[in-house]
Order: sequence, then structure tokens, then C-alpha cells
Amino acid sequence: MFEFLKGTWTDRVLLLVSLVAIVAGWIMIQAYVSSGPPMAEIYHADTLVATYRLPQKGEPPIHLQVEGELGMSEIVINEQGARIASSPCASQRCVLSGPHRHAGDMVACVPNRILIALRGHAESGFDAIVE
Amino acid sequence: MKQMTLSRPSLPELESKSRWLALLMLAIGLHVFEASLPSLGPWFKPGLANLVTLLALVLMGQRAAVSLAIGRVIVGSFFIGTLFTPTFMISMAGGLTAALVMIAAWRWIPAISLIGVSLLGALAHMLAQFVTVEFLFIQQAALYYALPPLLVLSCISGWINGALAGYIAGHLDNKKDSHEKI
Repeated sequence: MFEFLKGTWTDRVLLLVSLVAIVAGWIMIQAYVSSGPPMAEIYHADTLVATYRLPQKGEPPIHLQVEGELGMSEIVINEQGARIASSPCASQRCVLSGPHRHAGDMVACVPNRILIALRGHAESGFDAIVE
Repeated sequence: MKQMTLSRPSLPELESKSRWLALLMLAIGLHVFEASLPSLGPWFKPGLANLVTLLALVLMGQRAAVSLAIGRVIVGSFFIGTLFTPTFMISMAGGLTAALVMIAAWRWIPAISLIGVSLLGALAHMLAQFVTVEFLFIQQAALYYALPPLLVLSCISGWINGALAGYIAGHLDNKKDSHEKI
């Protein structure tokens, strides 16, 4: 029934090579971003604007405003993770994507040129989770 | 006085143009449809519009595929209101790179089917989007943290779209053969 999904040997070799390269890259990136304490790095274009340690349970949230290409983006970092709370961009996809808390996650608002990248190792023992 | 005459285009030429326009309209429709879908992750789309570029490549050749990739991004952006915005530039870079990679794969990789071509196109599309964002908007390597899982999704969508393109192209060829017999 699903004969048309099979592909040729060349296709399968290409898929295998691609997946091996992607997984190798993924492992390398995770090894890099999982080191150190859980942090949120906030960038505007080519500039690192701020770095914050993610608040632990019971610690107060961090609110900050970052000036982007279109205007101010409001960023909230709390125990649930980091998110863009408001943005002057038209699509609002960055706002809708919600909070992110895993090492290697990122939230980007391309029109406003704002990026939040998460990195760091969880103290709870979960390797790739910033908590 | 010399009389000007307009040469009438030949029937095969008209047929080829109308087929390209039909594919273009289909690609624009899918481009707009994909833009209206809820976000499946940053910059991830199922790549249905790319499927039409692949169909144009196998049915009409490389020039038709490249012009269709450019045409659908420009006209599609009119409809969704993103002309000359960052979204437009990212779409254009992704669509054009995918078309060029698919052409190269189709021409030079032996024993490849539309599935392999589509797989490479989907990966090229995703990579080109990230490179464009890094080059034009956010000059940070941290962007690439999110790339591997999206590339895995591109492998899946590229494989399925390639299989669909092969199925559709096969049926269109059969239809063409039966029309020619009639």
C-alpha cells in the first residue's frame, strides 16, 4: 500500500547520511549548550544584551525590555522559562511560542532582531532541561 | 506601407505556458495555505509549495522550476502581506536554494528518485533560512541551537513530499499518454 514511500537505494543512503550528520551535530550542540548553570542569553542583532540565570522555584521573575529594530520587546524570565511577553512585530509568532526552558531552545523575533537562547545544565539531574 | 503581423504562438507553446501557470497558481495557493497554518516550530512548514517546484522540475525542466519558485514567493507574499519583509527574504532564500539544490541533485546524482531530490531540497530550504537569518538579521551562532530537530522534521517532510510528487507526476504522465492516444 505504501510502496510509493519506499524510495531507491540512493534515497535511503542520502537519508541515512543526513540523519547521521544531523544527530552528530545535535550531540555536539547539546554537549556545548548543556555545560554551566542554566542561563538565558538575550541578543539584539550582533550584540549580547544580557545574560540571566534562570530563577529557581520561589525566586522572583525577571522582567526586562530590549530595544529592537521595530521597538521594545518585553522579555519575562521566570521558573517556567524565558519568553517574549510582547513585541512590536506584526506576526506575534515569537509571543505565541510561549516560554522555553530546555538547554538549546531559542526564541527569535526576526523582524525585531531579538533572540533568546537558553543554555546550561539542570541541577535536578536532567541533562538537557533547564529547570 | 509595410503591414505589421503578430505571430501566433504555437499550440505546444501555449500548452506549456498554461501548464506552468496552473502549477504557479497551485504553488501560490499552497504557499498562502501554509502561511495560515499554526506554527509547527520556528520557520518550519510542511513544504507543500516546494512539492510543486519539484513537479515543475520533472515535468517542465529546470528553468520552469526556478521561475516558479521565485514567482510563488513574490505573488504569495502579495496575498499574505509580507512582500519585502524579513519573512519574504527568508522564504525567497529558502525557496530558491531548495530549487537549485533539487536541480543539481536531479541532474547529477545517479539513481536518485524524487524522494531523494525532495529530501535534499527540504534540508537545503531549512539551512538557507537559518543562514539568511544569521547573515541579515541576528548575527549569532546561538541561532543554530534549534537547527538539528528542525532538520530531522525536514527529512520527514521532504521524504513524504517527494513520495507524493512521484505519485502525482506518475499519474500526470499516464493522463498525458492516454490523451495522446485519443
